[in-house]
This record gives sequence, structure tokens and C-alpha cells, in this order.
Amino acid sequence: MPTPIEDPNKEAFLERVRTALGRANPILHTPDHPSLKATTLRQEEKVRTIQAKVIARRAQVVSRLSETATEASWSVHRASGPEQAAAIVADIAEHARAKNVIRSAEDIFKRVDIDASLRRKGVSPSVLAAGRSRRRSDLKRMAFGADLGITGVSYAIAETASCVVTPRKGVARMASLAPPVLVLLIDEEQVLETLDDFFAITRLQYQQNRGRSPNYYNFISGPSRTADIEQTLTIGVHGPGEVHMVLIAN
Amino acid sequence: MAEVKTRQFKSASAKAIRDPQIQRALGAPFAHFTEGRADIIAADFGDESWEAMRDQAAAIKSHTIERLDYYLDLAEKMVRRNGGHVHFADDADHANRIVVEIAKRNNVKTVIKSKSMVSEEMGINDRLESEGMEPVETDLGEYIIQLAKETPFHIIAPAVHKSKEQVSALFEKWIKSTPTDDIEKLCGIARDVLREKFAEADMGISGANFVVAETGTVVLVTNEGNGRMTTSAPRVHVAIAGMEKLLPALEDVALFLRLLPRSATGQRITSYNTFVSGPRAGSDEDGPEEFHLIFVDNGRMRLLKDEVMREALQCIRCGACLNHCPVYRKVGGHAYGWVYSGPIGAVITPVMTDAKEAKDLPYASTLCGACRDVCPVKIDLPRLLLHLRHRSVEGGESERSSTWAERLLMRRWHNAMKTRQALEGSSRLGRLLQRPISRKGYIKKLPAPIVSGWTKSRDFPALADRPFRVRWREDLDQQAGG
Repeated sequence: MPTPIEDPNKEAFLERVRTALGRANPILHTPDHPSLKATTLRQEEKVRTIQAKVIARRAQVVSRLSETATEASWSVHRASGPEQAAAIVADIAEHARAKNVIRSAEDIFKRVDIDASLRRKGVSPSVLAAGRSRRRSDLKRMAFGADLGITGVSYAIAETASCVVTPRKGVARMASLAPPVLVLLIDEEQVLETLDDFFAITRLQYQQNRGRSPNYYNFISGPSRTADIEQTLTIGVHGPGEVHMVLIAN
Repeated sequence: MAEVKTRQFKSASAKAIRDPQIQRALGAPFAHFTEGRADIIAADFGDESWEAMRDQAAAIKSHTIERLDYYLDLAEKMVRRNGGHVHFADDADHANRIVVEIAKRNNVKTVIKSKSMVSEEMGINDRLESEGMEPVETDLGEYIIQLAKETPFHIIAPAVHKSKEQVSALFEKWIKSTPTDDIEKLCGIARDVLREKFAEADMGISGANFVVAETGTVVLVTNEGNGRMTTSAPRVHVAIAGMEKLLPALEDVALFLRLLPRSATGQRITSYNTFVSGPRAGSDEDGPEEFHLIFVDNGRMRLLKDEVMREALQCIRCGACLNHCPVYRKVGGHAYGWVYSGPIGAVITPVMTDAKEAKDLPYASTLCGACRDVCPVKIDLPRLLLHLRHRSVEGGESERSSTWAERLLMRRWHNAMKTRQALEGSSRLGRLLQRPISRKGYIKKLPAPIVSGWTKSRDFPALADRPFRVRWREDLDQQAGG
């Protein structure tokens, strides 16, 4: 993709900012701000410490996620392994009386065989991704027609009960957004403790893959909600109103 | 730009105070905000750590504002490297022209919008309509006020002044729905209408809660899911950001994501946070092919130029100062006459629009300091209000320079405070003079033409029958005797 051109108004605009600040010249060196200055080497060290911490405290971190998620109106399911996880997903679908189930195409489904467990309940999920028989332009309509969506996550964050969902090939944005019921599959290894952990790791990825990091990701931290009418909480406005986390131990 | 009606502050306030629905809405429902905020801060952090977080956030924001040219340049370079377009707009009209140009080039018919206060400044919806396009607000509150043709009543709860009956009537009128007073049903009606719009829209316009300079990332903080729809469903995504919205580094986001939702709605985090750094990759399944970020000045440069007022650019638009302001909680959001209300509105509106027109706003405060105490980035709002009052008097913008009667009264006051005898004598005289006009401890109307302005919009406290110094002495005597 070619780099878009610079706005011709940019220099004049920045000049006005400088004048307003009473400064004659541009700042040429990276300002002294700790979170901006850390080199790749320092950041790698930081991330290693985080990873060691998360491994050492795995059990506490996962149970903290389970607590914050319950407080934030997630339904939390603990699975002892992939087979149980697949069975849990099928039960959720049955309970929600879901007929049109969509899922993403990603590695976790190679281990968690939800296609088989759902088929046993008489439901066959469709993969929301462009392919031989499906055009990209059909994905939106298909997602809006679904009543249950299932995807994996990049991380989950215990502090805020946030699941980080990163769209890419095989993982459509709409899969975790359009259906009224959402199921996210989380490996316990993917659980981080704090927001700081997540941003430190993500920053390192930016540093390591300059220009090749994903341009889009979301935190999903509970059901879609609004209190815009009379400050009365209502669940499930534009996004899923019913959200499930399936935490898979290994 | 959105119409400026700041001159009508007094009459609009008086009208809001007489409106029973507005007074109801400003009462109990706001406890959700104030109590929710206090509870979650107490549960998660406690006062001491919260205070330290506010200090840190204020320091980061002030660092960024002082180097705004550097961070704007860095953000611009990163967004372009990610494949996005960046624009710099001098004022509302300029920003509108940029949006219209992008829309026309892409042959856009329907535009879906998620909440953006800067787009309210621009009046972008009117502009898009006049160009033959259909702009649709998709945040439920914004959708309601778009149908009502109003401006936001509150920074984060734009339709908080509407009753469910009023919302039902609006839906009945504009989308022919069956009347209902069931709030869940009303949400369902809006959801169905807006689903259609999400499916057909060609362009999405969002705001930006933060823009991370080092990665060129727009961060959106939402609850309904419309922000994700706006940035996922259409072919083109345009994010509009006030030029002050920058944060230096990705790791700074954690702190601000802890401060903003707790201050705004009393939530630990909102349901969704969306991070957009550019258009979708070619291999992605869906998402906009084109991404634009517009940085808007529209009067912010004037805030930046004033070394005192610059602090107001730290604002992250959480609305906590509105929720805790005794003036906002009586007069509501529309009285302020433009886009922003409450203490932050009273501070930035006179500078961003016309100081003469908005001369009443800096006086719409009791200076109680509640706004400063709850501000997540520690903006000293009372100090800024005083600075504006000072500027307004010095610059002759105010009609409030003193009258001869006030000057005379102040000289008397000065003399009366000089000695104890003078004070006691004057207060005896004062109690005698106020007898015909004071009722239940208040004077509703001071005699014209002397200082009648003082009681035009508030009651004046009368001198107490028994002054404090007398009660003090008597109580001491009693204690000594008992």
C-alpha cells in the first residue's frame, strides 16, 4: 500500500501551534517521556518480566479474571480441556436456541472442535470468512443474520475483564459484533493480569514489526449496554447482549 | 459551525429551572453518575492512589500539550505509515469541507456516526444534509437528540433530559413506531432502525477519545457497540479529533482507561474500546478500505496561546465536572448555549467562540471547587473561571464593572471592617434597615436602583438577628455558668 501524501496545511498548522506555545523551532529529539523512550531492548526485558509474573501467578490471575468478568455481566465457563470447551459451546448454543451460528477461522478451532459438538445438537456453524464459495461483500449480511457468534481472542485482561479481539484473515470484525449472543474461547495462557501488561506487550510488537502491526483491535469487556434513556441500564443495543467466556485449562 | 446562543444564558437558565421534566432529569438520575463514581474509586483504588493517578495524568497531558507540535507531527507520520490519511483543519468550516470532499469522492449516500463532540462543534450533520447525504447518529442518546433537532444536554449523556414518554413520541413521529413507555422496547426500536443503517452506510464518522502519537492509534471508548459498527461496517472511516487529544505512548493509555470510565459513568471499563491505526489490511475479511484522521483547531489555538487557559486542553471530556456542579444541576446543558456545558463549557466556550457573547458563562459558577476535586486530569476550573472574569472586566467585555452605588457600598464596607466598634455599629444599622425587606433570613429584592442587580437572579442572605459574635459570647457564658 503506498503511503498517503502529506496534507499541504500541515506545516502551517504546526507552525501556529509552535507560535501559540511561544517556541521558535521544532523539537528535534524524542521528548523525555519514559513510556516513549524505552528502546526495543528495554521493552523486551520488561515483557519478559511480565511473562514470568503471569506464569508464576497463573492460577490467581485466571481466578481474578473470572471474578471481574462475573461482575461485568459475563457468563464465565471453566473448561478442563478442549473437549469440555467444545461441549460447553454446544450447550450455550442449545440454551440460546441458536440456529444460525457463525464462527471465525483460527487455530483454536483446530483443538476445540465446536463443529462436531454443535452438529451433535443439530446445528452446523458457518465460517464467517471469504472463500471459494463466499464473497467478502456477503459477510455483512450473513453476520447480521446470525444469532450466535464464536471467536478466539488474542489476550484476556483480568483487571478489567477485557477480551482483546484482533480481526485478520479468517477473523471478521463482524463475527464478534453483529450476533446477539457471543462466545469467546480463551486459553488460560492468554490471560494477562493488568492493562499495563497488555500495552507493554503490544508496544513491543509495534517496535518489532514496524508498520506490520494490526491496524485494528477491540477490547470486549462485557455486553453491549446503554443508559441513554432516563439513566436506566439496558443490555444489548448494537452489539451482543449475552456474552460468554470459555476459559480453557490445558 | 454549530449555532452559538451563549448570550441567552440567563433566560435559558430561567426557563430550564421552571421546566419540571428537566428538573426531574437533573435530580435523582444523576446519582448514578456521582455515587457510581465514588463507589468504584473507593472499591478499586482508594483516595490516595486515585490522587496519585490524577497527578500522573495531569503531568502526561501537560507534557503533551507543551509539545503538541511534536506529537501531532509524530501521530501524522505514523498514521500515514499505517496507510491512513491525516488532515489538519483550521476551523469548523474547513473540517466540514474535508469531510464532504472525502464523502463525494467516495460517492457516499448514507453516513453513520458514533459520538463525537468536535463534530457537534462543526455542525457536520447539517452540512452533510445540505450536500444531499443522510447522516445518522448511532449512539442512542445522540440519535434521540438528532430526531429532536437539539444539541447534547450532557457531554456523555446527550439525551439525559428526555423522559421515556418524550423519546417514544419522537420515535412515533419520525420512525412511525408504536408508542411505549418500556425503555427496553424503545432501545429495541432504535436498534432495528439503526441496524438497517449499519448495513447500508458507505461512510462512518467517529470521534477520538485519545490519539496515541507513537503508533498513530485512535482510541474509542464506547458502551453500545455503535462505535465498533461505525469503524467496521462502511467502506470509509473518518475519525475527527480535537488537536489536543494526543497521548505520547501506547503505555500511557492504561492510566487514561482507568480514569475516564470511572469518572464518567462509574464503570471499571466501558464495554468496548476500539483501537484504529489505519485502514484494513488487504487480507482482512472486513473493515474500511480508507481511513482518515482529521485534527481540528476551531478555537483551540486560542486556548493554547493563553498560558493560563492552556490547562483546559488537558480535558478528556468525562463529564464529571457537570455531574458535580450545583449550577449545571439546576440549569442543565442547553442554557450554556453551545456544545459544551457545565464548568468545562463555561471555561472553553468563551475562548473558543466569542467572549463578548459568552460573557455570562464564567459567572455561572459558585466557585465551590467540586469540579476541580473530581476532574481526572486536575484542571483547576475555578481558577480558570476567575481568570476569564478578570479578563472580561479588564478587557471591558463585561457590563459588570461596578456602579456608583456599588462603589459607595464597598467604601462603607471597607470602613465598617476597620474597627470592632464600626462593625458592630454598622451591623446594628444594617439590621434596622433590612427589616422591611428581609423574609426568613433572605432578601429577595434589594432596593432599586442602588444594587438591585444583586438580587435579579438570586436571593441575598440577610444579616442574622443575633450575630455570631453575640451567640459565641453567650454560649461561652452559659458553659462557664453551667
